[in-house]
Order: sequence, then C-alpha cells, then structure tokens
Amino acid sequence: MIATRFMELRKRRGLMIALVLVNIGIPTIFLTVRLIAHAVAPKSYGPAGGYDIFTNLVAGVMYVFGFIVAATLGCTAGSVDLTEGMFRHLVVTGRSRLALYLARIPAGLGIVVPLVAIGFTVVCTVCVAAAPTKLYYEGAVVPAGLSRTGFLAWAGENPTYVLCDLPGPVPGNLACPNGSSGGGPIIRGGPSSGGSGQPSAAVLKAAAIENAARDYPGYAATFRSPSVPLMIDSGLWLELEAIIGFIVGLGLASLMGQRTVPVVLMIVLELILTPIFSTAVIPHVINLQRGVVGLAMAHLEPGGLPLAFGGNSRGSGVSQLVPESTAVAVCVVLAWLVGWTVLGAWRMMTRDA
Amino acid sequence: MSTPALLDPSDKQAASNQWAVETHGLTKRFGQNVAVNDVELLVPRGCAFGYLGPNGAGKTTLIRVLLGLTHADAGTMSLLGYPVPKRRGAALARVGAIVDEPRFHGHLTGRQNLRILAAAREHAARDRVGPSLERVGLAHRADDKVSKYSMGMRQRLGVAACLLGDPQLLILDEPMNGLDPAGMYEMRDMILSLVAEGRTVVLSSHLLDEVERTCDAVAIVDRGHIIRQGPISELLAGASLGLQVECSEPSRARGLLESTNVGAHIETGDQGLGITLPAGTERDVIAEINRVLVEGGIAVYRLQQVQASLESWFLQVTSRLGASE
Repeated sequence: MIATRFMELRKRRGLMIALVLVNIGIPTIFLTVRLIAHAVAPKSYGPAGGYDIFTNLVAGVMYVFGFIVAATLGCTAGSVDLTEGMFRHLVVTGRSRLALYLARIPAGLGIVVPLVAIGFTVVCTVCVAAAPTKLYYEGAVVPAGLSRTGFLAWAGENPTYVLCDLPGPVPGNLACPNGSSGGGPIIRGGPSSGGSGQPSAAVLKAAAIENAARDYPGYAATFRSPSVPLMIDSGLWLELEAIIGFIVGLGLASLMGQRTVPVVLMIVLELILTPIFSTAVIPHVINLQRGVVGLAMAHLEPGGLPLAFGGNSRGSGVSQLVPESTAVAVCVVLAWLVGWTVLGAWRMMTRDA
Repeated sequence: MSTPALLDPSDKQAASNQWAVETHGLTKRFGQNVAVNDVELLVPRGCAFGYLGPNGAGKTTLIRVLLGLTHADAGTMSLLGYPVPKRRGAALARVGAIVDEPRFHGHLTGRQNLRILAAAREHAARDRVGPSLERVGLAHRADDKVSKYSMGMRQRLGVAACLLGDPQLLILDEPMNGLDPAGMYEMRDMILSLVAEGRTVVLSSHLLDEVERTCDAVAIVDRGHIIRQGPISELLAGASLGLQVECSEPSRARGLLESTNVGAHIETGDQGLGITLPAGTERDVIAEINRVLVEGGIAVYRLQQVQASLESWFLQVTSRLGASE
C-alpha cells in the first residue's frame, strides 16, 4: 500500500514541480547565479558559498519554505482520496481505515525527506567548495580557526591592524594606515614612544590583546564555511521541520476533509502565528505559546544559525524568543506529531465515506 | 471464481449461509429523515437481485450502510454470512461494489488506479488487475489517464475494481447511469455472465425495464421501507391483467363494457380500448368482453393480452400505497 500511495503522490506533476523547485531549485538557482557572478566579476561579487550564505539559506529559505511545501504535500495526501472519490473504493476493500491512513505517512515522507536532503546537499556542497579563502570579521581579514590563545597571540603580533580595523577602544593619537587617528578612550601608561606622541609598542600590544580578548566570542562564531557538525545538525533540523509540516498537514487535511483551507492555515501558522507567538510574550497564555511547534523548533535550532524569528546575529545577539527549555521543546514537537496523527486517523476512521 | 481456504469454523458457517445479504430491522437516519427504515432484506446467493425504488427512496443509503461507508442506527446485517460490522474485513474481502458514480484519481491511468485498490486487498488481487481490465473491455485503454475516460469507461473501470477481490457478491449502485444502449447491453451481459459463474449480483436502479431484463428477484423500496420482495415471476403473478382492444367506436364500446360487471378499468384511445382487469381474473372474462362488444355491434379488429411488466406492476403497487395514505 505504501508503494502505491507513493506512486499516487509522485504522479502529481504540479505538486512535485513545486516541491523540487522550492527545496532544490531555489537554492540551486541562487547559488548558481552567485557562482557565475563571482566568476565573472570577483571584485564586485564575493564568493558564492561560505558560512553566512549557508546560515541565511538554511534558516531563511529552506526552513520556512521547506515547511510550507511539506505541509502542502501532507494536505494533499490527507484529502485527495476523499475529494477525488477514491476513498469509498478503498473503504469497500475492507482494509482497516487506520492502515489506509498510516500508509500515507511513509509514502509522503519518502518524497519530502529525499528532496530536502538533495537541496541541502547542494547548499552544503557549494557553501563549502566555494567558501571564501579568507575569513572576514567585522570587515577585516583575519586568520581562520584560531583558538583563543592563538587569536590573542596574533593580535599581539599585529597590534596596529587589530586596533585600527577591529572593534574596540583605541589608544589616543594612534595613526592608523587608513588615515584614522583612532577615537577611542585614551589609554594611559607605559613609556612614551618618542617625540611623535604615538603610543609605545608595549602599549599598543597590550591594547590589541585586550581588544582581541573582548572580540574573541564574536570571532569564534565567524567561519569561512559551515563546519561538519553544523551541517549535520542543520540538515537534521530541516528534515524534522519538513516532517512536522507533512504530518500536521496530513492530519489537518484529513480532519477537515479538504486541501485548500488546511494549506492556508499551515501558511498562516508558519508565517504569521509562529513569529508572533514566538517573540511576543502574551500574559496568561505563555504556556499556550510554548505549545506552538514553531517556537519549539526555534529552540531546537542548531547554535550556529541565526535565531529563528528573533534575536539578531549569531552568538552575539540576545534571543527574543519566548523562553522554553529543550526538554519542553522536544515534548511539544512529539505532541504535535502524535496528536495530529491521532486526530487525522480518528477522522478517517469515523468519517462517512 | 476461486474458493477461499476455510480455516475458521465461523468461515464455514458463513459459507453455508444461504443468503448473500441479510438484514433485520436495519435503520439509518439523517436527522429527522429516516433514509433506511426497518429494512428486512434477504438476497439469495447466486442470483441477480434488483433493488428498486424511485430517486430518494434510500437505495444508495442502504448500500452504503451494508458496505460500512456509513454506520447503521439500528438493526443487524450480514454479507455472505459474515456479520457486519463485526467481521467487516472478512465480508468485504469477497465483496465488490460500485456506489454512486465511480470516481478515480484522474491523473493516474486506469491500471494505476486499480493497482492502488489491489494493494489494499490481498496479495492475489495484484495479479487480477490485467484480467479485470480485459473482462470489462478496457485493456486497450488501461494505460490512459482516467481524466480522458468517458462516463461509460469509468463505469466499466468501476466494475473492474469490483472484480479485483474475486468477489462472491457484487453490489452495483445504478450501474447503467450514463451508459448508452450499447453500454447498457454490455453491462447487462456482464452481470448475467457473473451470475452464471455462481456470483451474486445486487443491482440497485430506478430503471425498471433494465432490472426486469437482468434480475431474477427484486425488492421494491419506497421512502426507506421495503414494500415487496421476491422472485419477479411471483411478484408479477399478483399484477393486474391488461388487454388491448382495437375496435370501432371506442366510446360506445367503453359504455357497453362499463354497463357490465367485468370489473375492468377502461381507457379509450383513438384506435380502441385499454382495459385493466384485477389480478387473478379468469380467462372467461376475456371471452365475455369479446362477446359483449360483438353482440353490441362493435367491430373487434384485435384483442391482445398485455404482459404485466415490472414497471406497470411497480406503478400499481406504489400508487396503491399512495392511495392508502
């Protein structure tokens, strides 16, 4: 039954085109354009891949639209037998209605999961292979992958560069190569460097190391390309999001007996309700907000990605999400998966065919 | 038709049951509307059985209840000896049905649609897809999308779907709908061949003429209630006797007959009279009618007994019911 259900869904050409386009086409086209642009005009267009492109594609496009198309497939799987008149034929076979419902799950996931995986693989491949050769932190070129000790040591060896080009207070009267004379608080102390008024080398080194220590958390969250653990975590997170979209869509459409309205509701959930309920604490209903699966998924988001629906840049931003522990988030996800499956199956079992 | 292996004593008991369909006190309501009203239905095995009634009589609702598409509000029922819904799976494994207009996934071919249905049945059903399509004459169009099928082709695909389970019982709801005369002929022929193989076919229809040509027994339903059931020959034996008389001066002929005590209902036409006599009228009455007309100076050109039809009988029965209300 699973194979025939898979065949029935796969043969829906329009739907499959939409799935492929969103999960694979959009990231592929985007990255291809970047690759071509960088190849043609490397000075005007940066490298096609890299960490920032990876995080933006994953946490932006693939996360949101992957959910929506998976939900569309789920809504289709949950309703078309009824709307196209096949449901009564299936019921008349005598096969358990629960079995008829459950067969749709592996069939639909057999479509959604590989498509998400393929799209994600394309993104990972390009973001790693076409990553920048240098690491840019706050607009400055810095060595990549240094430990804290290594970063401080590098700062000590390049004090003028660190003080002039990286964030942090600058000793007074420091003449920067780019013409800036600094502007931060004056750092007193140490033997003078001579009649020019420039801080001494020791003062510069100490200041640079102090700034580097302050800047290290931000630097540590900056990468040329996504790490393997981040890619694995992100891939699994995207797959989970798509699975949730499919299962909830399947259950909702089975409950309502139609496709269009459930698809609209899923879009509203993902694009409107989830961002609102995830970031705005509403008194007296905060526990209800914690029950929103989008908030739970935001809390399960891999640490290297921008915070979904709230917070700002990686590592340095403060999360604006409604607080929720990881354990609660996992429970919420499981509850949605199980709950909507039960609801959808129950309706199929009780509906007049 | 293959005989399934009987492992369970209850299966043996079911197989020995003489009724393909049996209901007692079956009732289904939709709010205030009683669509199936205390139905006592007995369909013997191995025959073509017609379930007749006007539109809205509750024919399709009864079929839906039997097949588990909707639940009954009261009563008991069994299919092929298996109580339903308690042993619904075992019952429906050997039942094929068309309910309303058969609909399928339009983006799939006929063959693919049947594969989906076969996958929901036992494993052997998958091997019956091809033969079922051939049996209904759709083999040459099996790989075309159903969206390109005509109404008649979809009806035939519906019958092919019924055959996937090698059914002992087929329940066909208005199978002639949308068919042209050639299609109706083929459908009738197919039904008769299925009965000849020992299967039972229950045919629900409002086309009395078609049912009379196809079925051995019928049940008449009106407003959810069965008013008559049994072999057609027995039911028609209770029908009124009709006579067509072609004669001169029909009006005067009518007056002559009305002054006698033959107890006939008489209608005049341009060419003669249509006479309806009560059921059980002796042949001597026919001779008496002829004598009255001839002695009255009426020229009788033709005197012909009209065979009672299911349609005329149905109209009589339902009009009697209407009059009694």
